Amino acid sequence: MSFKGKVALVTGGSRGVGKAISAKLADGGADVIINYFRKKSTAQETAREIEKKGVRVHLIKANLAEADKIDGMFVEIEKEFGRLDILINNAASGVARPALELDDRGWDWTMNVNAKAVLLCSQHAVKLMKDGGKIVNISSLGSRMVMPVYTAVGVSKAALEALTRYLAIEFAPLGICVNGISASAVLTEALKIYAEAQGLGDSVYQSTPAGRMVAPEDIADVVAFLCSQQSYMIRGQIIIIDGGYSVSPSHTNNAK
Amino acid sequence: MSVEEVVKEIVTRVVRRPAAEFAGQTTFKDMGADSLDIVQILSAIEDKYDIELDDEDMVDVKDMAGFVAYIERKISENGN
Ligand SMILES: NC(=O)c1ccc[n+]([C@@H]2O[C@H](COP(=O)([O-])OP(=O)(O)OC[C@H]3O[C@@H](n4cnc5c(N)ncnc54)[C@H](OP(=O)(O)O)[C@@H]3O)[C@@H](O)[C@H]2O)c1
Repeated sequence: MSFKGKVALVTGGSRGVGKAISAKLADGGADVIINYFRKKSTAQETAREIEKKGVRVHLIKANLAEADKIDGMFVEIEKEFGRLDILINNAASGVARPALELDDRGWDWTMNVNAKAVLLCSQHAVKLMKDGGKIVNISSLGSRMVMPVYTAVGVSKAALEALTRYLAIEFAPLGICVNGISASAVLTEALKIYAEAQGLGDSVYQSTPAGRMVAPEDIADVVAFLCSQQSYMIRGQIIIIDGGYSVSPSHTNNAK
Repeated sequence: MSVEEVVKEIVTRVVRRPAAEFAGQTTFKDMGADSLDIVQILSAIEDKYDIELDDEDMVDVKDMAGFVAYIERKISENGN
C-alpha cells in the first residue's frame, strides 16, 4: 500500500499498537507525526527506528487529556507540515477500577483521553485535510463486552465507536473517510496492567479460534487498509480484529 | 522561579489545596494526591523542564523536600 506524499498523525504512536501502525504507514512511504505522553526516550527510540524507512518522523509530546495541549499539537503540525492526510486516534489511558470505586476525576480523565480527544483531534485534522483524508479510531472489545475493572475505558470506547459513526457521516462530503477498528487483547504494556490482575491473557488465548493472540501488526495491517483507497466505500464501521474470539464465546483451544 | 516554587505551584494546583499546605515534610498522601494526581504532577513538571521522569523513582520520594531534591537532580542530569 502506498502512502507516498501523505502525512499521518498517530496519537500514542510511540509504543505498542500505535508504534506498529506508525511503522506500517511509514512502510508505505508516509511521513509520520508521533504523539506521546510521557515516555520521551521510548518515543525517541521509535522515531529513530522508523526514520530508517526513509520517511520523516516528527515527535510531539502532548497530554491529550488537555484541550490546550491538543491545540498546541495542531499548531505545530500546521507549522511543520502545513497539511494532514491521515489521523489515527490510538492513544488511550484509563483508570482500572470497578464501577463502585470510580470517582469523577478518574472517569473524566478516561473520557477525556479516550473519547473527547478523538473529537478534538478530528476537528483540528479536518482543517488540515485539504485533499480529503482518512481517520481511523482504535477501540477494544470492552466497548460491548464486560471485562473486570475495565468500566471507564469500556464506556469511553463505546463513545469513541458512536463518534466514529457520526463523524463518518458528517465528514463524508469533505472527502474524509472515518472508520474504526476494535481488537481483543493485544500483547502490549497496557495489557499487562489488566492481564496480570485477571489472568486475562491466558483466557483470551484459550478462547481465540485463530489459535494465537492478536499482535500489534494485525491491527496495523487493517488500519493501513482503512487508510487506503481500496476501502473508500467503508464508512462509519468498526472492524473487529479478534481471531474469532467475540463470535465464539465457548471456544477452547486445543492447540499448544 | 526556583524549582521549589514551581513544584509547589504545580502540586497544589493539581491537588487543589492551598499553597500553605505545601511544606518540606508534607507527603503526597498528606496532600490527598492519588496516582492520577501524581501522573499529572509529573507530566506538568516534565513539560516545564523538558525532562523525563520515571514513575518508579517515586517509590523513594518520601516528602515534598525529597520530591524537590529529586526534580533538581533530574534537571541537572539533563543539563549534563
Ligand atoms: N493492548 C490491548 O490489549 C488492546 C486491545 C484492544 C485495543 N487496544 C487499543 O489500542 C490502542 C493502543 O493501546 P496499546 O496497548 O498500544 O497502549 P500502550 O502500550 O499503553 O501505549 C499507549 C500510548 O498512548 C500514549 N498515551 C497514553 N496516555 C496519553 C495521553 N494522556 N496523551 C497522549 N498520549 C497518551 C502513550 O504515550 P507514553 O508512552 O509517552 O505514555 C503510548 O504512546 C488503545 O486505543 C487501546 O485501547 C489495546
